Amino acid sequence: MSVTASAGKRTGSWLGDSPILPPFLTFMGTFIVLSLFVPNFGTMRTVSSFISGASINAIVVIGVTLLMIAGEFDLSVGSMMAMGGYIFAMLVLGGQSPVLAVLLALIVTSLLGLLNGILTVTTRIPSFIVTLGTRSIYRAVVWILSGGVMIQTTEKLPVFDTLNGRLDLINNLFAGANFRMATLWALVLGIILQIALTRSQFGNRVFATGGNPGAAVAQGVDIKQIKVICFTITGLLAGWAGVLTFSQFKTVFVATGTGLELTAIASAVVGGTMLTGGVGSIIGGLLGVALVSALRSGVILLGLPSDNFEAIVGVTIVAASILNERIRLRS
Amino acid sequence: MVNGAQKDTPLVIMEKIVKTFGRVTALDGVDFEVGRAEVMALLGDNGAGKSTLIKILTGIYPPTSGRIIFDGQEVQIRSSREARELGIETVYQDLALVNTMSIGRNFFLGREPVRAIGPVPWLDMQYIADQTRRSLADIGINIRSANDKVGKLSGGERQSIAIGRAVHFGVKLLILDEPTSALSVAESRKVLDYTLNAKERGLSVIFITHNVHHVMAVADRYTVIRHGRRVGTYKQGEISYDDLSDLITGEREY
Repeated sequence: MSVTASAGKRTGSWLGDSPILPPFLTFMGTFIVLSLFVPNFGTMRTVSSFISGASINAIVVIGVTLLMIAGEFDLSVGSMMAMGGYIFAMLVLGGQSPVLAVLLALIVTSLLGLLNGILTVTTRIPSFIVTLGTRSIYRAVVWILSGGVMIQTTEKLPVFDTLNGRLDLINNLFAGANFRMATLWALVLGIILQIALTRSQFGNRVFATGGNPGAAVAQGVDIKQIKVICFTITGLLAGWAGVLTFSQFKTVFVATGTGLELTAIASAVVGGTMLTGGVGSIIGGLLGVALVSALRSGVILLGLPSDNFEAIVGVTIVAASILNERIRLRS
Repeated sequence: MVNGAQKDTPLVIMEKIVKTFGRVTALDGVDFEVGRAEVMALLGDNGAGKSTLIKILTGIYPPTSGRIIFDGQEVQIRSSREARELGIETVYQDLALVNTMSIGRNFFLGREPVRAIGPVPWLDMQYIADQTRRSLADIGINIRSANDKVGKLSGGERQSIAIGRAVHFGVKLLILDEPTSALSVAESRKVLDYTLNAKERGLSVIFITHNVHHVMAVADRYTVIRHGRRVGTYKQGEISYDDLSDLITGEREY
């Protein structure tokens, strides 16, 4: 019996054995439909607008997707994002070095993520419940830290432009384009984590931890460590999203990021990540958040009553998930 | 691998194992041994104590008293990691492989071949693809591609891959826990064949089951446990199917 590689099968592209194709098709399908029915949808102005609108959330989605593949949920990402935004804002407006401000914001939110992880793996409480609790607790800490006061500035500090300024390099190429650095961050971080997920030893163990934790343990994988790492990454990325939010809008308030957790989970699911864990892709998550953002833009441009937003988005999320599942099962 | 002096001594000797949980005595001074390159059937009804015995052997809990001698050395097996390091591995039906991952990724799970580029260990995908097919082929399991998802395989094929993996990684004692109970006749046949292949490679196997027919096709010896005690150990050929069943259920006491 020969052991030459079987005809036609590659060892798998970096996009992975993970399901990118279904969410990609779903996204393209939605985009085409929107372009046909919504006036001016296919323009660079509209496209860059909904992409920009999705980019900061996309950074959070990266972490949430990774964590869901490992089999866990984090409902506290919105609170962690607010925390990151506040710490960055307070320090940088207080005259501290911007590097220190960013570092501290990221360290604190990473520790919050770490705490989520430790609580989940050391108690028998499901992460859904643990982070439902920390969602409120972290938000309360933000409240205390800020005194309930929002932070807003008109200062044009250079760090804001460095972190999340307009991407004029690209904007100058296309008329009406309005891309920001956040998009670049989302793409770079997304691609790096996708490659890590599908091509590293860590990634292999993440899939196993989410897909069949008992089997992973039997093979000597430290699933607790894997989960804690994923929770910490999620915290780090949520903090980064907070920093970028303040850099762009020069505003952060106690309610910043509220509801982000559900958007993130929905985006991950639309992108092909299964709620049961073990299956999914980061790139899919990015497509998911882009799709939801495109849909929101479409609804606005069509002039539909704003009450319909969430309903339409909700229906699409369900439809997209069903579609992904159909395509996945057929392959 | 097995030198002349060691060849006749059993691979595993569990001596006078007692296990109590509070007031309940799960095992009452059980002696159990497995020889080298031998398939030992471990038989007993539910609650007889065979899972407790195996859990002690695989480090899930320590015995209340008694000792374990593995490969000539007295050992304390304090965790499943220590059991694995000794070369003891269990294949449970649902906990052997991750269905959503490919055969190759499953084969090397926990022992991934890596190339360190920078600070990150990157998977050697080519090695995984080639070595998985080669190692499985060595014991007679032919797969189309190491990239096929395990979920697409039949129950028997999955069990076989788990066995093949254990053989490849040099497991000394393979514990099969009810390997054929959810399988069809044809699938069970495959698993039994690969069990014999593993034995031919020098592994010892503990085959735990309720299915006396299946185990009679592969076992060299049978140990029957009832109510936390070893009822007896018999060689193949020494005992009939009916007698074995009676011993398990207690219709006969020897």
